[in-house]
Amino acid sequence: MKASYVIKRILLTLFIFFVVVTLCFFIPRIGVDDPASRYYPAQTAGMTDAEYEAIKELVRQQYGLDGSTFQQYITYLGNLFTGDLGTSYTKNEPVIDLIAERLPWTLVLSVSNLLISLVIGVIIGTMAAWRRGRWQDRALLNASTFTTALPAFFIALILSFYLGFEWEIFPAYTDQNMVAGFDWSWEAISKVAYNASLPVFAMAIGSIVSYGQATRNSVIAVSEDDFILTAKAKGLSNNKVIYGHTLRNALLPIVTQFGMNVSTLIGGAVVIEQIFNWNGMGTLFLTANSNNDYPLMMGIMIFMSAFALVANLLTDFVYCLLDPRVTLGGR
Amino acid sequence: MKTLKYIGCKLLRALYAIGRFFKKLWMHKQGRIGLIIFAFLAILAIFAPLIAPYDPYDVTQRAAKGSTPSWEHLLGTSITTGQDIFSMLIYGTRSSLSIGLITGLVIAVLGSLLGVAAGYLGGWVDTVIMRIVDVLLVIPTLPLVIVMTNVLGTSYVVIVIVFAAFGWTGLARVVRSQVMLIKNANYVKAAEIAGASRWYIMWRHILPAVSNLLIMSTALTSAGIMVAEAGLSFLGLGNPTAISWGKMLADAQSSGAMLFGHWWSILAPGVGIFLSVYSFMRIGLALEEILNPRMRKGSNMLKVFKHLNNTYLEEVFASMDDVSKMKGEYQAPSPVLEEAGPSDIAAEMAAPEGAAVEEVAAAGVAGAQAAAAGAFVPAAQIAAAEQAAAEAPFAEARAEDAAAEVNAEKGGER
Repeated sequence: MKASYVIKRILLTLFIFFVVVTLCFFIPRIGVDDPASRYYPAQTAGMTDAEYEAIKELVRQQYGLDGSTFQQYITYLGNLFTGDLGTSYTKNEPVIDLIAERLPWTLVLSVSNLLISLVIGVIIGTMAAWRRGRWQDRALLNASTFTTALPAFFIALILSFYLGFEWEIFPAYTDQNMVAGFDWSWEAISKVAYNASLPVFAMAIGSIVSYGQATRNSVIAVSEDDFILTAKAKGLSNNKVIYGHTLRNALLPIVTQFGMNVSTLIGGAVVIEQIFNWNGMGTLFLTANSNNDYPLMMGIMIFMSAFALVANLLTDFVYCLLDPRVTLGGR
Repeated sequence: MKTLKYIGCKLLRALYAIGRFFKKLWMHKQGRIGLIIFAFLAILAIFAPLIAPYDPYDVTQRAAKGSTPSWEHLLGTSITTGQDIFSMLIYGTRSSLSIGLITGLVIAVLGSLLGVAAGYLGGWVDTVIMRIVDVLLVIPTLPLVIVMTNVLGTSYVVIVIVFAAFGWTGLARVVRSQVMLIKNANYVKAAEIAGASRWYIMWRHILPAVSNLLIMSTALTSAGIMVAEAGLSFLGLGNPTAISWGKMLADAQSSGAMLFGHWWSILAPGVGIFLSVYSFMRIGLALEEILNPRMRKGSNMLKVFKHLNNTYLEEVFASMDDVSKMKGEYQAPSPVLEEAGPSDIAAEMAAPEGAAVEEVAAAGVAGAQAAAAGAFVPAAQIAAAEQAAAEAPFAEARAEDAAAEVNAEKGGER
């Protein structure tokens, strides 16, 4: 990995981030001359024109919407540089604080989903590859047909119907005390795990199968290589051939998929969070959307994009550290 | 009269091609399943008013509200408004299929145009398009779509435009990498030497070569769009006046179908979504096997089975990239690396071609000399020869460049 390549890649990432920020600045300004009228779209009954104007003027001053669009843009960029994503219209708090409050809860769901599906998926995929063509393999294939054609939110609804309402094994709605009274005690943590079980389960079904399929195909591709034949010919035990030789080499594509999933960690659970009333970024975003809270929506978008950008960058670097055949910018 | 005959001939030919296409699909076992389900859903969508026993928009049936399945109401009625769920299910086919198909077609057009332009023209066009792709791939799709529907409204047209505007990136990337291989093929080179314009080459030579990819991906994109549309309307952000399966699910959930144990009102729309997505997936996979016989059975399943589920369009195509990685040809998303893959092949293909071009150029020079000497040579031939002579140095230089690149790369790896 050459230093020049790393620098080039980082500069490109910064450029993409700049474009994303610019987009997020201009999207709320589509179709309106005055961004303040997004906050107050119309005069309410009994309000005179002068009062309406006065309110809009107040909004402009309070949220930094005065001056020309270009001036606002410069201010926006400058604020962003200091980590200020603006102030929420409805909650009247800095956007970055609201995000920081919700981020851990989203990460609880998505990180546990990612880890569970990675571990179980790799195990299932290896088993299916080793028993290629037998019932385990066919079961995985059929499962992937179903989970691909069924949206995750539908699986979530079915799970919440049966496990949550009919059999009452897991909570169908998140207990909001879980968030307010969280104090790192054992009870609080187990409560979070209990409440998170259904959403994580709903998300994991699809991704376990997709990791399983990816692992299966990768393992099959690797196990046709000559060095596996050599390992078998040396008389190594089956387990050693699978875990020591095949799986190690077959996991490279899984790293790519893992990296791709890491970049969607905080943006990928919007609908699931909504179904289980989970107190995360997705519900924050949807509430902001229904309240037309543009600074909050755009702040979340910028944050999610920045997260994805950093994740992509790291995946690229990790990949080339893992795979000696890939020389990044090596020419 | 002659033109009429010509048009008729073309039309017949097109019909014949379409017929053969469907026959091939029908002969494929998986494709047949997909076609049958699709035809069934299409009939439901087209003749919905004739098939549906009740008017699904009728929200005034207070006496019948919340009824359980019976012969009168096959799937019961909705809890708050008393709409017949079976009729809603049939009408929901309309919005799902129409949005899926139309957006899929728009994406096919957009993605192929931009992908071909990026791959064939190269240079700044390529850079600009690929940077746009980079930006769109980074922004989370669903939140972006939600913001756009908030700003622009939630009519059908807006939803199709928004999905298309953010869904073309994956297809464009796949098409681009395909075009970068094709543009070094002999027939494209020959057309260039013969003086064909770049638009002509893109239209007549490059586009037909990627058409298989387009047909297949349209089916798969449509499937992805249907899932995304269901998600959007489940969040209450779809077209509020239309009946869609996602909205039915949302209504069932918010009106307490879970509490009352009305499993049919949750299961029915889900089966609808499953059938429509499943049929398109089947057709797409079958097409892939038919159009690309080299495709092994296992690997194409992987392409689709990843992610289509809990994510949105571009990841279908991102996973296609993964497949090529699994076969050992590494193509990272970064632009520097992406060129590393094709350039090898480019060098391989360009090397013998460079020699061929040299020959043509030599002939061209001879022709020009002969013309100068007063021998009879058709003007067009001279022009072509001159063109070839002008082109030849470039081709040579390109071959040399590519070869040098490969050498450098090999050196670097050592």
